[in-house]
Amino acid sequence: MKKTTWRKATVLAAGAAMLLGMAGLALAEDTIKVGVVGPRTGSAAATGTAFDEGIALALERINAKGGVLGKKLEVVFEDTAGDPQKAASGLEKLITKDKVVMAMGESHSSAALAEIDVADRYKLPLIIAEAWHDDITKKNIKYVFRAGPSNSGVVDDAILGFIKANGFKRVAIVAENTDWGLGIKDLAEAGLKAAGVATEVFITERQSQDHYTELNKIKNFKPDLVLAFVYGFGVHYLIAQSNEVGLVPQTALLLEGAGPPSLWPDFWKNVGDAGNLELFVSSMHKDVMLTPVAKEFQDAYVKKFGKEPTDYKSRSMFNTLLIAADAINRGGSTDPDKLVEALEKTDLTVCSGQVKFGTEKGSYRYHQWQPPMLIIQWQDKKQVVVYPKEAATGQLQKK
Amino acid sequence: MNDLLMYLTNGVVIGIIYALSALGVSLIVGIMNVVNFAHGELYILAGYFSAIFASALGLGPIPAMVVAVAAIFVLGLLMEWTLIRPTYGDDMYSLIITFILSIILQNAYLFIFGPYPQKPPNWTSGASNLFGLFFYGNQRLACLGVAVGVIAGFFLLLHKTWFGRVVRAVSMDREVASMLGVNPVRVNLLAFGLGCALAGAAGVILTPIFPVTPTVGVGVSLTAFVVVVLGGMGSFSGCVVGGLILGLVENLGSAYLDSGYKHMFGFVILILVLFFRPAGLFGQKQL
Repeated sequence: MKKTTWRKATVLAAGAAMLLGMAGLALAEDTIKVGVVGPRTGSAAATGTAFDEGIALALERINAKGGVLGKKLEVVFEDTAGDPQKAASGLEKLITKDKVVMAMGESHSSAALAEIDVADRYKLPLIIAEAWHDDITKKNIKYVFRAGPSNSGVVDDAILGFIKANGFKRVAIVAENTDWGLGIKDLAEAGLKAAGVATEVFITERQSQDHYTELNKIKNFKPDLVLAFVYGFGVHYLIAQSNEVGLVPQTALLLEGAGPPSLWPDFWKNVGDAGNLELFVSSMHKDVMLTPVAKEFQDAYVKKFGKEPTDYKSRSMFNTLLIAADAINRGGSTDPDKLVEALEKTDLTVCSGQVKFGTEKGSYRYHQWQPPMLIIQWQDKKQVVVYPKEAATGQLQKK
Repeated sequence: MNDLLMYLTNGVVIGIIYALSALGVSLIVGIMNVVNFAHGELYILAGYFSAIFASALGLGPIPAMVVAVAAIFVLGLLMEWTLIRPTYGDDMYSLIITFILSIILQNAYLFIFGPYPQKPPNWTSGASNLFGLFFYGNQRLACLGVAVGVIAGFFLLLHKTWFGRVVRAVSMDREVASMLGVNPVRVNLLAFGLGCALAGAAGVILTPIFPVTPTVGVGVSLTAFVVVVLGGMGSFSGCVVGGLILGLVENLGSAYLDSGYKHMFGFVILILVLFFRPAGLFGQKQL
């Protein structure tokens, strides 16, 4: 008698729990989910933090203005750690388990190149934010967009222009042996050779922490500028060690070709005095406000986090979410093809300018919007824009 | 010529550190026939401890190092008592247990310490002009000095103390040693603790130059195993020679051949050694 009563009670309880659960799920249906992919672990884990900041600010802004299609916008962040396998499986999980209508983000080209194939297979609109390899948009996949820099854009607009304007004669290129590193070094090498600048290339392992051998070879080349295409905490050790061997800034300047590592916490602790006069690429500076939205981002950031924004990838993610929400609202639905149509017609003001995606097939400019890039130099621990001239806030210091 | 000297110097510095971390593995393998897969994770833990003790508790870098190594020694004793002792007689179980432990520790570090690299403050800064030919970081030279001191101390322990004699006896022939009155359980406990402490010592010495993240332990363990196999299991001088060879080959190889594949050279050497002399350079041939 007791046993059957217990059994009935358990079944009733389980049933009640299921009903409550289903009701909970039904209530939760009142949001539209988009996925974000990016590195929360690995050598670029600080970019995950930057992305989180951009997401928080963007969601506040978008949901305050009514959300998307009358519902709240929700973000599901999947850690890809810059690894192509994790990236592909992470994106699949977002699509199949979380049922996101769009995905965006990513900061590693090797991961992004894996993700675009997944997006194509599942017909999911994917907006790449900060993975620079040309092939990402060069492959002309219909569902893939890029609201961020491309290798060609960065090299042609910023790096080559900076080198020519300041008369550097011998440039040593150090590149990590990843998709991004090798891709951008090919473009830089070709561009420099065409401009008649003496250059030599040195490859290094991304995980390596000991760069003495490469640095010694670079020293023998006697460069006046070192282009470092290493994205991760590894570049801190590269800079610190280049100071120990007497290269930077004693006989050459260093231009860090990714940007964020020069802005991460612990940069000054890791590189010490070698960080002074170091140059880096960025798309954000507090004195370069290209649009009103940039000012709004700055104010919102200071209000929420109590400090000024330094890592441009947080603003890049903010821009990308604005673009996504705008496309969903204009498209009027979450159907992938309608979203792609809406994205192609984007004409939106974001922090870095006016967003318009290229629509001509055949090159990397298809579905790409290149934000303007700056070259910034650390002078006495202050960021000074030294290129392009129109945006400069100071002069380049060579010694 | 300066280039070659620089590469040789760097190779020796890195090689000595490899040797130090491999000594711990060799000790445990030689005495207990246990392969400690969690070796790299103990190295990292010592690095994290020294970073935390130096910053949070405000200890100077040297006291922080000593306390960190002592903590790892105690942890090693605990590990042996709880995890390894129940597996006596079956080498496979201890392998699996330490492997699982390494995975658990990696994830625990990610959870507790976060993904950013950590390091204690440098003991010294700047660079010296070596031989009047090139500049070399002072911190690296200091690390070299301490590592050589620790290795020398270990060999002193091995050859001049009673404990050292027992260790050498047990690693030569366990059964005969126990017949002659050595307490195998006590020796195992102390040897395991000492092996872990050596891993910790390598960790605290290297972390100022190479900050630790939760996953670098895998690379450390692999390098230690390569050195042990290269030098010969159970041979401590083999570890030192093997470590030096690995450090030199890596640096000379990446200098004169290809710097993109630095870590491949170690594995090429490993394959060659296993092919031509499987017992390792100084290994004792199995009868």
